[in-house]
Amino acid sequence: MHHQIVRRAGAERETLWVLLAAGAILVSATLAVGLRAAPDAEAPLAAHLIDSRTGLTAAEQGLYADLKAAGEEIAALRTAEGRAPTPAELATEALPPFAADPSAAARGGHAWILAETGHGIAYVGISAAPELAGSLVLRLDGHGAEIWLKRAAEAPPAPPEDAALSAAGWKRIVSTFTAGVTR
Amino acid sequence: MTILPNRGPNRRLILAGALAATAAPIRAFAAPAGRRRFGVTLHPYYSYVANIVGDAAEVVPVIPAGFNPHAYEPRPEDIQRIGGLDAMVLNGIGHDDFAGRMIAASAKPSLPVVEANADVPLLPAAGTAARAAGKVVNPHSFLSITNSVLQVSTIARELGRLDPDNAAAYAANARAYSRRLRQLRADALAKLATAGTATLRVATIHGAYDYLLREFGLEVSAVVEPAHGIEPSPAQLAETIATMRKLDVQVIFSELNFPSAYVETIRRETGIRLYAFSHISHGDYAPDLFEREMARNLDTLVLAMAEASP
Repeated sequence: MHHQIVRRAGAERETLWVLLAAGAILVSATLAVGLRAAPDAEAPLAAHLIDSRTGLTAAEQGLYADLKAAGEEIAALRTAEGRAPTPAELATEALPPFAADPSAAARGGHAWILAETGHGIAYVGISAAPELAGSLVLRLDGHGAEIWLKRAAEAPPAPPEDAALSAAGWKRIVSTFTAGVTR
Repeated sequence: MTILPNRGPNRRLILAGALAATAAPIRAFAAPAGRRRFGVTLHPYYSYVANIVGDAAEVVPVIPAGFNPHAYEPRPEDIQRIGGLDAMVLNGIGHDDFAGRMIAASAKPSLPVVEANADVPLLPAAGTAARAAGKVVNPHSFLSITNSVLQVSTIARELGRLDPDNAAAYAANARAYSRRLRQLRADALAKLATAGTATLRVATIHGAYDYLLREFGLEVSAVVEPAHGIEPSPAQLAETIATMRKLDVQVIFSELNFPSAYVETIRRETGIRLYAFSHISHGDYAPDLFEREMARNLDTLVLAMAEASP
C-alpha cells in the first residue's frame, strides 16, 4: 500500500524563507552601518585647552574673536611703530576689546594691562565679572596670537608662559575650522 | 594654509554636472594679462574682495544678483563663468556649499579656493542643526564686524599668495578697510553709550545674527526657524511663541529682504517689538554694500536696545 504524506495547506515554508531573507538583510545592513559609521567625536581636548565653540560663554566667544582680530592689528602697529602699543592707545584706536564702550562693560568689564613675556608681549585683561567672561591673556610672540582664559578675577603668573599658566588653572582657547556639511 | 585645491568631482554632484553638460560648450574666458579675476558667491564677499583688490584685480560674482542664497540651484551659465576665474573666495561653512559642485563641473575643476573662514572662531548653528554636537556651524560669520575683519585679513593674505605682485597692496587695502569696518561698530557703540541699556533678551527669525550680537555682549534666546532657511510648522511656531513668553523675550529681529507671513503672527501673539536686520544678500553687488547694510544693521540694533531700556 502506497502512503504519501501530504503537507497541509499553509505558507510555513515560504514564511520561513521570507524571515530568513529579512534576517539576512538586517544582518548585512547592521554590518554595513557599523563598518561605515562616522568616526566618534574627536579625542577630548587636553586639560589645558578649551574649545571656543562649545566651552565658552557668549561674552567670551565675542571677546575671543575680538582678540584674534586685535592680534593682527597689534602686530601691524608694532611693525610700523617699533614698539608695542599700550592698551590705552588701542582703546583710542577703537580696537575691541580694548575700547571702553558699552560692549566692554556688557562682556565682563576687563581692565587691560601690557605685560612682558620671555619671547614677546602679552595683553592681560582682568575680568570684573567672571560669571559673564573670565580673565584673558592675549600673548603675541612673533609666531601668532595665543589666547588664554581663566574664570576668575585674577592676574596670570608673571611671566605668562605655558607651564605657569597651565599650573595656575588657565586654559588656552582653541578653535577649529569646520566646512559646510553639504559640500 | 587656506588655499586648497578643489576636491575632485563628487558623485553627489550629478545634478550640477548634468546642468553643465547640457550647457553650451564651456569656453574659458581669458583674463586680461596681469589682472586676476577672483570669483565670489555672496554679496558680503564681493564687498570684501573689491575693497581688498581695488583696481588691481577683477571681482566676479558667480551668482547673479537677485537670487536668494538659501534657495539657489547651480545654473549652467553660472558654472560657465567659473572657467574664467583665477580663484574663488568661499564662505565655505554652509552658505555656499554649492560652489564646490559648480567648480567640479566647470572648465577649471582644480580652481584654487580661498577659505575665508579659516581663521574665524565659528559658532554652532542655531535651531535643530545645533543638535549635531556642534559639527554644523552657523554660516553667517559675514554678519559681524569682527569676523568680517578676520575674513578680510585671511582673504588678503591668500590672494596675495596667488598674486604676489599685488600682495602688499592687498594687505594695505585690507587693513584700511578693516579700520573702516571697526569704526562702524565704534560709532554704533557710541550711540548706545548715550542711549541706555546694554542688555537685551533677543529672539531672531533666522539664525543668522549670533556673531553680530556677541559683539555687543548679547545672546540669542530663541530662533524661530527650525533649520537654516526652513519655515516653522504651525506646531513649531506655537512652541516658539510659548518659549518667547517663558523667556520674556524683549525684541525679535526679522529679515529685511526675506519677509515671512508668520512673522506678523508672532508679533500679534506676543506683542514683542519687531525689528528687521539685513542679511546682506539682496540687491546689486557693490563694493560699499557691506558697509551700508552693516551700518543699517548696527543702527537697528542700537535703536532696539535704546527702546528696550527702561
